Amino acid sequence: MPISQELLEILVCPKCKGEISLNPSGDGLLCDACRLMYPIRDDIPIMLIDEAIKLD
Amino acid sequence: MIYLVTGVAGFVGSHLAEKLLAAGHSVCGVDKFLDNYPRRFKEWNLAQVSRHANFEFIEKDLVDLDLPALLRDVTCVFHQAAQPGVRSSWGEEFAAYTHNNILATQKLLEASKKSSIQKFVYASSSSVYGDTQDLPTRESGMTRPVSPYGVTKLSAEQLCYLYWKEFSVPTVSLRYFTVYGPRQRPDMFFHILMRAHLRGEEIPIYDDGKQSRDFTFCADIVDGNIAAAEYPGAGEVFNLGGGSRTTVEEVVHMVEQISGRKAKLKMLARQQGDVRHTAAELKLAREKLGFNPKVKLYDGLAQEWEWMQKIGA
Repeated sequence: MPISQELLEILVCPKCKGEISLNPSGDGLLCDACRLMYPIRDDIPIMLIDEAIKLD
Repeated sequence: MIYLVTGVAGFVGSHLAEKLLAAGHSVCGVDKFLDNYPRRFKEWNLAQVSRHANFEFIEKDLVDLDLPALLRDVTCVFHQAAQPGVRSSWGEEFAAYTHNNILATQKLLEASKKSSIQKFVYASSSSVYGDTQDLPTRESGMTRPVSPYGVTKLSAEQLCYLYWKEFSVPTVSLRYFTVYGPRQRPDMFFHILMRAHLRGEEIPIYDDGKQSRDFTFCADIVDGNIAAAEYPGAGEVFNLGGGSRTTVEEVVHMVEQISGRKAKLKMLARQQGDVRHTAAELKLAREKLGFNPKVKLYDGLAQEWEWMQKIGA
């Protein structure tokens, strides 16, 4: 099941507390400011800085 | 000038529409949002052009559209829409390939017959050649596709020729050789490779990695399309390639260099429908269209890597 819009609206980047957005594959949440992607595994967003994928 | 771009939300179609709009033309784009990959990718592809005042978008299947009405004010058609993918074209899925690749093209050609369009550029594929030994492959070489996808692309290409021969529809077909770059479809090899690499996962390599392709950067394909639209001739077929052949193994090394990290590889068996080598003979395209691929593979890969990082694909 894809992540709900309501959940997306309340989630923030755990590092900068800024906005995050869903990536086009629907399996990661992007923080543009930190250049980090928080993976979504089994429909659960993993909002842990240590687990985030560095995009730069 | 109004240009019709079918498959405008796709990889090549969106780049082409952007270039045409930047040149001051008007673009009517059609896309049915095929569900072959997440819609979000296609919406992102369209993000830039959809803000443009000279862009009109129609979300519909070409087969269901009133095409004669659509073509009334159109100068040139760039038919990029297709059901892509070699490996998925076997079995039950084939019906989608005949509908989206053959029937949609036939409908568009039929409507073009009664229109005043100046050029109909058809996006064909190197897959029409199949597993040829004739390398670099010439346009006059044998066409014997090794996938149902290739069969449908060849059928549509032959329809283009037929409508030129019988009804003087000014068609030109372009055989694309493995297009890559930003917005590449998620089922294509570089996208799969970079996505896995970005996540530190294993990269699936089919066969032994020594298979080679003539990789063509998307901006060069766009330039080839525009050159074909301006070409005074018709009823012809041209190869569009990157100008050199590179093995999958070499591509992996380049991505390692660009990203600055070592790739993890997972070797898998060869897939049905995959060809061993492709290489385009570009003599005709160079001479007649003035086609000259400019982007070197390393630079093009760096641009795709940058895009992959940007979108977190």
